[in-house]
Amino acid sequence: MEPQFITNPEGLVRIAQETNASAEYLVLQDGTGASARECETEYVISLAEGASLKMVFLSLGGPLLRNKLRVSLEGRDAMCDLAGICLADDRQEMAYDILLTHQVPQCHSTQLFKNIVGGSAVTRFNGLIKVVPDAQKTEAYQANHNLLASDTAKAYTRPQLEIYADDVKCSHGATIGRLNPEELFYMRSRGIPQAEARLLQQMAFCQEVLEKISSADLREKMLAIVEEKLHKLSNIC
Amino acid sequence: MNTLLKIENLHATVGEKEILRGIDLEIKAGEVHAIMGPNGSGKSTLSAVLAGRDTFTVTEGRVTYDGRDLLALSPEERSWAGLFLGFQYPVEIPGVSNVNFMKAAVSEQRKQRGLEPLSAAQFLKLMREKMATVEMDSSFSGRGVNVGFSGGEKKRNEIFQMAMLEPRLAILDETDSGLDVDALRIVASGVNRLKRPDNAFIVITHYQRLLDYIVPDVIHVLYKGRIIKTAGKELALEIEQKGYDWIIQESE
Repeated sequence: MEPQFITNPEGLVRIAQETNASAEYLVLQDGTGASARECETEYVISLAEGASLKMVFLSLGGPLLRNKLRVSLEGRDAMCDLAGICLADDRQEMAYDILLTHQVPQCHSTQLFKNIVGGSAVTRFNGLIKVVPDAQKTEAYQANHNLLASDTAKAYTRPQLEIYADDVKCSHGATIGRLNPEELFYMRSRGIPQAEARLLQQMAFCQEVLEKISSADLREKMLAIVEEKLHKLSNIC
Repeated sequence: MNTLLKIENLHATVGEKEILRGIDLEIKAGEVHAIMGPNGSGKSTLSAVLAGRDTFTVTEGRVTYDGRDLLALSPEERSWAGLFLGFQYPVEIPGVSNVNFMKAAVSEQRKQRGLEPLSAAQFLKLMREKMATVEMDSSFSGRGVNVGFSGGEKKRNEIFQMAMLEPRLAILDETDSGLDVDALRIVASGVNRLKRPDNAFIVITHYQRLLDYIVPDVIHVLYKGRIIKTAGKELALEIEQKGYDWIIQESE
């Protein structure tokens, strides 16, 4: 199945996955079109029984990006896989606000959001998984990892779980860190210049999200776009 | 013979603590020097300082490598100049495959040394050949650098990297620690295969065992940040039998 492309959306994006339907979306925000100015997008998403949805977000440019996701799993055995990368630099601000609700039993959701923050940029991740009392056998996972690439970059993260059922598997986690100096030194000691060593590490950090893109062709293209953006980012800091 | 490395009165600290307290050492092309000494004597610090690790501060002394001021060079510049450090604890780099790591390293080395870039096919052939010399399975190339490797596999990966980069001065920091006899033999033969009249090795070890395979020209004993004894290869056996105490007493 070829992923569908959504480039620089704004306003409202509505996705209703009907029974047993499956889809993959790739959302690209590259600082052109609507994302060239302050841009807020709300995604209202629902999944019916047996439906599956994968969305990969690449937020690579724009002065202010706000992505608000409201995801509702409404039929049994629905599966929702969300992943994203923010590459923020200069004075950019990129924010994800996610409310994902398990309304019925036996659904599965994952969230993996990774940010690299350079310059004086800011990223915000505010994510809530809600599991209603009836939604037994839920599996829900959420992770937000942030890599600070400068001393003036900021990353805020608020992973949250609200669980009202008692037979569920849920986890959430967040990290904020810097490139590992031991790894950098190891690479430099083999003759890899510092800037390239950083780039290799940053690409490795993004890899897990990019691998979610199921079309090899598209994945290679996105990899190249991310790499180019990281090149610019590492020149700044 | 040409002097490749000259260390004069080298002092280095980490934080407030002085670890190297006046090292003098001269290494000529074609030589193998072993550095032995009890734990905490400064062996790993010396190798880290030579490779350019910035957690240590050089407070006094100078190091001349191939006529250049080594301490003024960045870690990558030292590598381009032919210096190689085999790490005591090789670093794991999740997400960066061995093949991409080596490709980045080799292509930069070649660029810096004014050599033509290798084609993808040439590079992979070279990689296969060098992996074979340390009996590494080719499945390792696609895996993350050192990720999930056993102790012995990590050390073989160090020797593989050394073989790819063909250094002029290789410093092997306790490459033998944690190796069983077979791995030790593989590592040692990897080193011996790279020995040439125009390069040199510094082998840091606790045990005479490794020096049975890699025969040194000179053995130095490091203690409390100074070299307290320098002798021929027979010293290793003596240390194995009698320990370091007699050398320490002799020096005090």
